[in-house]
Amino acid sequence: MIEELRKKAEELLKNGTVKVVFGYGEGSVPERTRPVFITKPEDVNKLTWNKYCVYNLTTYLKRQETRKLGKPALILKGCDARTIIVLLKECQIKREDVYIIGVTCDGVGDPLAEKCKACDVHTPLIYDDLVGEKIENKEIPFEERYAELDEYEKLGEKEKWEFWQKQFEKCIKCYACSNICPLCFCDRCIVEKNQPQWIDPSAHARGNLSWNVTRAYHLAGRCINCEECQRVCPVDIPLNLLNKKLAKEAEKSFDYRPGYNIDDELAMSTYKENDDQDFFK
Amino acid sequence: MEKLLNKNKFDSLITGLKKQGYKTIAPKKDNRLVTLDEIEDANEISLDHVITNNSIKEFFLPKTEKILSYTIDKNKVEMEEPEGFAVKSVIFGSRPCDAFSLPVMDKVFNWDSVDKFWVERREAITIVTISCDKCDSYCFCTSVGLAPDAKQGSDVLLTKISNDEYLVETVTEKGENLVKELESVFSDPPSGTPDRQVATVEKKFEIDKVKPWLDENFEHNVWDDFSNKCIGCGACTFVCPTCHCFDIVDECTMTKGDRVKNWDGCQFTMFTMHTSGHNPRSTQGMRWRQRIMHKFKYYVEKFDSTLCVGCGRCSRVCPADMNISEMLEIIETEAGK
Amino acid sequence: MDNIYRPYLMTISDMTDEAPGVRTFRLNFSDEEEGKNFKFQTGQFGLYSVFGAGESTFCIASSPTREDYIECTFREAGRVTKALRELNVGDTIGFRGPYGNVFPIDKWEGKNLVFVAGGIALPPLRSVIWNCLDLRDKYKDVTIIYGAKTVDDLVYKNELKEWEARDDINLVTTVDPGGETPEWTGKVGFVPTVVEEAAPDSKDTIAIVCGPPIMIKFTLPVLEKLGFKHDKVYTTLENRMKCGLGKCGRCNIGCTYVCKEGPVFTAEEISKMPDEF
Repeated sequence: MIEELRKKAEELLKNGTVKVVFGYGEGSVPERTRPVFITKPEDVNKLTWNKYCVYNLTTYLKRQETRKLGKPALILKGCDARTIIVLLKECQIKREDVYIIGVTCDGVGDPLAEKCKACDVHTPLIYDDLVGEKIENKEIPFEERYAELDEYEKLGEKEKWEFWQKQFEKCIKCYACSNICPLCFCDRCIVEKNQPQWIDPSAHARGNLSWNVTRAYHLAGRCINCEECQRVCPVDIPLNLLNKKLAKEAEKSFDYRPGYNIDDELAMSTYKENDDQDFFK
Repeated sequence: MEKLLNKNKFDSLITGLKKQGYKTIAPKKDNRLVTLDEIEDANEISLDHVITNNSIKEFFLPKTEKILSYTIDKNKVEMEEPEGFAVKSVIFGSRPCDAFSLPVMDKVFNWDSVDKFWVERREAITIVTISCDKCDSYCFCTSVGLAPDAKQGSDVLLTKISNDEYLVETVTEKGENLVKELESVFSDPPSGTPDRQVATVEKKFEIDKVKPWLDENFEHNVWDDFSNKCIGCGACTFVCPTCHCFDIVDECTMTKGDRVKNWDGCQFTMFTMHTSGHNPRSTQGMRWRQRIMHKFKYYVEKFDSTLCVGCGRCSRVCPADMNISEMLEIIETEAGK
Repeated sequence: MDNIYRPYLMTISDMTDEAPGVRTFRLNFSDEEEGKNFKFQTGQFGLYSVFGAGESTFCIASSPTREDYIECTFREAGRVTKALRELNVGDTIGFRGPYGNVFPIDKWEGKNLVFVAGGIALPPLRSVIWNCLDLRDKYKDVTIIYGAKTVDDLVYKNELKEWEARDDINLVTTVDPGGETPEWTGKVGFVPTVVEEAAPDSKDTIAIVCGPPIMIKFTLPVLEKLGFKHDKVYTTLENRMKCGLGKCGRCNIGCTYVCKEGPVFTAEEISKMPDEF
């Protein structure tokens, strides 16, 4: 797999198809990799592939420092590739401006990441090239896909509130969650606006609750649950739990899963006459 | 003063501290992390970690705090001073790197004007540090002139000498008073030379090579190259024991409000953004440069102190694996060219 | 222990609309005793706040020789300045200061002074201009060169008239080409060009310049050509600030904290700073 990736990257750089390859390189310790941006064909040996390739590299499409490197090829797992579909649908990128090197993946993280336990995109759904052993995408039933919410959903309303209050108390407002998220691409985030100050930047109960809940809502129906936000949170808040719950609700309400089908209409920005309207009171 | 503390006396220690009116902060297991937090009971303490997830900084410079309160009425404003923020406490189980951050930060918070929110907390809190008997590859305290059993910044230093015993060394008068207050918990020091179990922290770079290179290389492609993967969040800044940059904002209702001091960070795009839209540090490379320069050049020039204690937290939590000691090793290599 | 973040309470005793979006406040200390004890020197700045909206940094635009009040001039640009504009005479605001270093006007005694300012950058110089004019005998020739985009954008219009009328000041006003009105009797041209034409003598002269970055960029070379050495040219810089006291780590340009070692700098000091402002 690694050799294949390096060969592909070298080819794309040499023939000028792309100016840079976003991939994974060796990290500070054997149990980590890091994002690497290969611009020279002779540097492709920096690319690697192993179970620590957790990053969703599509997030670097929003950053000016990596955009200015030129047209990229991205090494994407199935989950990451779902982000591309959402970004395309939300008109953030043009298909011809990115080259996708899809990789087949049977799970990342050690211990295995939660998202990998019910993965139905071992083979990415969108790519220009595919690298890796053939792995079939099996359909996974609804209940199994949201099994990680079982314990949480047993909690009553009051218990849920207390659970999140306790979790958000830890929040230090570092914004690692939104900065790592490929779908948090607003030039100026709502928390950075101060006329008026919609969300207090302060890391107190009110500021933390409004931040985390607002972000979850802005991702509802869009988030593809790559779990990056949860991985990067320095105080271990189970952010993906909230995003996963909202994803379940969005699927129930609109029969929609973001990032699976380029022809699907976006749930949050499409109006259908038969949409449930009983929330109007 | 030297004494001995046995693990079986931890219970009496915590009870004793409570009796003496101290709030006790110690390392606690919290799911996958070990964090410094208030404890009520000795059995909450967890001590088999390399370093806690959070540093002791938040007990002296909280992530958010009121620095003024007021009532608003167009023609009349009444101001109120925040009170009760300096609570008599003991931090039991700090690390030497964390403890050392305190005298380093004292310098900026006492520079000409004195920040009472820092100073009064410093007076109210006693630091009991436990020397490191193990480290990991992120630790680099020895590269910045420290050691895993360094004393500076602590009031009392504990060093493991056996499975159950700690050598107790008082460092300051405050520490000595604390030990005297809880006399019954401590026993006489061991005779002979105790077997101090202290980690060996490999030196990663020569700090003396760093500043001279920084003096000459404000412009260099390494700043952009290294920070390409940085996502511009505040994780490194906020977990760092010596990062102290802050923001001041007002929060209010129609009739009253507070002026609040919040943690802020130079890695955020908006940190130096002018209202006009001009941003002196508009790229991540410029912001990363500021971080390194501030810690290893500017603070040294102003206060004769490096603004880094080698704890490695920034590198451990970084979402994109930006590694500060790696950066400094690169600088050392560049300096040698 | 004193709270260094606690502001003085100030009452707005007067206000003047200088130009579109630009207003001057005259402020008196709500506590007379505090007012009597308050001292500052020209060049220093403060943090002015609207309780509930936040703090903003402006220079003290009045002179320490006029002891009963302080003044600030600001343009509506963001949250705090918008809130300031919504206030009326009699309202209370906060003020923290004086912060920063000073124009060394005692070093300039016996010399000629040339002040060059552009647009909204006259307020930082107005303090030092007044201070020197109030001690007129100590200085030789005084030249003031001031320009703005349009006639409307000129600030301190009344004072400009006063200065024009005096025969111990050489005042040159200008507007950018296209900014003149039919009644305009001043010059038409960008400030750096006008400075070159006025060609002030650099011998025994101190130049004090303040303006938007583009104006400074083109004015400094003109002054250099006229023979002004870098240590005889002064300016005052701005940077985003929060504490004003050297603690919040925001306003530094390289190693220099604008709030502590500035905002007044010589062109010589600026030439040694990294390109970070």
